[in-house]
Amino acid sequence: MITITEENFDPGAFIDAARERQVGGIVTFTGIVRDDGITSIELEAYHEAALQELGAIRDEALSRFDIRSVDIIHRVGTLEVGDHIVLIVVGSPHRGDAFRACEYIIDRIKETVPIWKKEYTAEGSRWVPGEHS
Amino acid sequence: MKVVVRAFARFREVVGDVNTLDIPEGSGIQELLTALGARSHECRDLLFDEEGRVREHIIVMVNRRRLARNAIASTVLSEEDEVAIYPPVAGG
Repeated sequence: MITITEENFDPGAFIDAARERQVGGIVTFTGIVRDDGITSIELEAYHEAALQELGAIRDEALSRFDIRSVDIIHRVGTLEVGDHIVLIVVGSPHRGDAFRACEYIIDRIKETVPIWKKEYTAEGSRWVPGEHS
Repeated sequence: MKVVVRAFARFREVVGDVNTLDIPEGSGIQELLTALGARSHECRDLLFDEEGRVREHIIVMVNRRRLARNAIASTVLSEEDEVAIYPPVAGG
């Protein structure tokens, strides 16, 4: 499943859903809002293009690695410290490709998916600078 | 011809989230950005450097396909194209 949503999600439910007979390992990455002295963050997406890009990243991962499934759930909207931002769930016959695929997916998300974060603090707000141009 | 310009994040705050621009037939991204930049000093400073060049960090999509940096000058637009402009992404 590829989703961009304002709703919270339960990582355990997605891990359970990735179980199948040929899957010997499930690797997940959960991004959460870190306390950098902020009160909240706001996530904004170019929704249609971001969904398209997440789907392309899933397809790239499925062709590059020996994996059976990829789920990516990305939140948008206002989030507080400790809230989930993103979940990646990779199911694979073996752990090596599952770990490599999961890292590949989060790195690609940070490079290309049109989503942005604005941090709010007691002093004001600022856009988090992107790492790639 | 009319094209739709969508801007996101910091760019949205300056340019507005959705704009429909009426630009001459045969116009390209460069002409579109120039038309946007003419709206205010803030728009011009956002899009162009002191020498009038499109700023390095601007990302442009046309109909949800990202343009390579060196394609900005040569890309010609068509009626009803959707152009998106935005800063480097920071999701995940």
